[in-house]
Amino acid sequence: MPVHALLLLSNALFCLGVFGMLTRRNAIGLLLALELILNAAALNFVLYSRVFGAVHAQAFALFIIALAACEAVVGLAIILSLSRSAKTILADDVNLLKG
Amino acid sequence: MNAQNLSAVTTTITVPTPELAWIPLLPLAAFIIILLFGRRAARLSAWLSVAALASSGMVVLAIAGGVFRGARLILSWPWLSLADPRWSLGLSVDGLSWLMLFIVTVIGTMIQLYSIGYMHEDPRFSRFFAYLSLFCASMLGLVLADHFVLLYACWELVGLCSYLLISFWFEKPAAAAAGRKAFLTTRVGDTGLFVGILLLAWTAGELRLSELGTIRTFLAPQLGLLTAISLLIFLGAVGKSAQVPLHVWLPDAMEGPTPVSALIHAATMVAAGVYLVARTLPLFTAESLQVVLAVGLVTHLAAGTVALTMTDIKRVLAYSTVSQLGLMMTALGLGAMSAAIFHLYTHAFFKALLFLGAGSVIHATRQQDLGQLGGLRRAMPWTAAVFFIGALAMGGAAPLSGFWSKDAILLAARQANPLLLWLLLSGAVMTTSYIFRLYFLCFEGQTHHAGGHPHESPRIMVGPLMVLAVGAAAAGFAGSPFLQNRFFHLLGDAHAHEGIDLPMLLWSSAALLAGVGLAWVVGVTRRNLLPEALRPLGHTLYVWASNKYYVDEAYDRAIIQPFLRLTGRLDRFDQTVVDGAVNGAAAAGWQVSQWKAWIDQHLVDRAVNGVAQTVRGLGAVLRGVQTGIVQQYLLVLVVSVVLLSVAIHR
Repeated sequence: MPVHALLLLSNALFCLGVFGMLTRRNAIGLLLALELILNAAALNFVLYSRVFGAVHAQAFALFIIALAACEAVVGLAIILSLSRSAKTILADDVNLLKG
Repeated sequence: MNAQNLSAVTTTITVPTPELAWIPLLPLAAFIIILLFGRRAARLSAWLSVAALASSGMVVLAIAGGVFRGARLILSWPWLSLADPRWSLGLSVDGLSWLMLFIVTVIGTMIQLYSIGYMHEDPRFSRFFAYLSLFCASMLGLVLADHFVLLYACWELVGLCSYLLISFWFEKPAAAAAGRKAFLTTRVGDTGLFVGILLLAWTAGELRLSELGTIRTFLAPQLGLLTAISLLIFLGAVGKSAQVPLHVWLPDAMEGPTPVSALIHAATMVAAGVYLVARTLPLFTAESLQVVLAVGLVTHLAAGTVALTMTDIKRVLAYSTVSQLGLMMTALGLGAMSAAIFHLYTHAFFKALLFLGAGSVIHATRQQDLGQLGGLRRAMPWTAAVFFIGALAMGGAAPLSGFWSKDAILLAARQANPLLLWLLLSGAVMTTSYIFRLYFLCFEGQTHHAGGHPHESPRIMVGPLMVLAVGAAAAGFAGSPFLQNRFFHLLGDAHAHEGIDLPMLLWSSAALLAGVGLAWVVGVTRRNLLPEALRPLGHTLYVWASNKYYVDEAYDRAIIQPFLRLTGRLDRFDQTVVDGAVNGAAAAGWQVSQWKAWIDQHLVDRAVNGVAQTVRGLGAVLRGVQTGIVQQYLLVLVVSVVLLSVAIHR
């Protein structure tokens, strides 16, 4: 079981997600980057459930998939209404609440 | 004797008589109407006032039958409590009150008629008649009242009216002061009466005048209390009836219009005191009767001597009233109630006559000083004639009214104490002497023309004088043996003397002649009859009497000046101590608030502002962190997590 390689993969996925979050301006891009982070976490859960033989840890992976779906729904709905009212989907253009 | 016993029994019969309410209400209605509408119709209001009082007089005459049969007419209505008959106010008429009603209505009507002539130039003509009506109404109410509370209310109303009328010409400072003096002086007596009534209500609990006999038997074991109550009631009478030592207001009351003086002196104000004592005589114990007697006698003699020396026509009459009231009080002190009331009744006629006669003189000459008057008989024959009749009646000339009443008092005095008889006879000499001195100086002798050309007064003034002259001459017969002493029977005095007492007739006639002689020799020709040795004493006495025994000065020195000094001191106390305390408190408060303001500005405000500035500064610093750029937050988060994990691995 190539645990090491799989850990490297999930770490790479997480770092990619964080990088995307820090650099993207597009809100959809941000959502995608967030998905990467979540999947990296899910991959870790599954990996460690195999390593320690704890099956119930895989339930968290299922939770994370459901959570990601919900998050995508809510996020896309916000982005949709944002694009309608503010005519933009760039995150740093939406600054009406800024003091 | 049988008939008398029967009459004594029948006095207990009471007859409800609703007509009684009309007697005081008619003049009261006149007062209200004149007060509301009098300004538009001055002349009419005077006649309305006369008509109201005359109608009251008619009612009085209409109820006479029952009274003469010995019945007590009553009219009562509940007050305060329906259950307790002791607190039902009421009117009641027996012989005594009927006589008073008769005097007030007859004399009052005459005086009001006369006033129409006397006051015709006055700018406040209608108001004068409004006051007169109220005066008569309250006096009638006082006489009718069957309850001490009602009596006291009317008593105060009488006092109020006298104040209003004495100071009727309030533009004159002397008149305003006289009204004030009358009000304050009688107030001293009124307070006594009030305390007496309270004491009576507290101890006996019964205030109906018709139940005085019951009260007497109820309180008989506590003689001291009864004496105290009766003396307090007498104090009220002393104030109202101008007895020594509260007589000072009456001579000053001369500042009012002359008809007012006549009304006060004859029918209303001063009669109230005598009436009160006569009415409450059952309450008087032997000790309090002694006090009444002493006060009456002192007043009679002292005021008589003062009247001998006065030079103002109205002041002579004023002191003569004080003196005659003293005589009535003397009779009351002797327990001779019927004689006192008889004298009150005859006195009302001749004193009203004399006052209105004097008013006629003043009206004609605008002069009150006896030194400036004289020989008016030729210019004013009618006034002189009626004045002469009045003087004779007052002096007690045989068939005129004063003779009968004075004789009744002298007889009562003779029964009590021979010394008293001599004192009263000397008083009678004085009475005759001062009234004839007045007559001689006014109407006889040389004519002075200081007052322009005197003329006889108009018919509306002479008419009432005539009526009163007839009354002054004939009123006494009611109490004479010729009419079976009707007067005394009416007052329930069945033991009145029968027939004329010849020695007394001689003595009082001698007193009359001596008085007239003295008046002529000493008063008019101004000859000094005293032997050489006694002259300085006589002069001293004269100075004392002509200065009214310095009573006013004594009051001034003993009461008024100390009072004013006290008020002055209180004023200073007020100015310095009380005001100082108030101002000091204010200054201290101001100073404290200054300090508080400083603390507020420098400590509290600074603390509050400091907090606000701190918060604002902190906010300004923190605002820099709060960029709103999500990536920045995330970067911080990632960096911190990395740093933390590195730190943990270490």
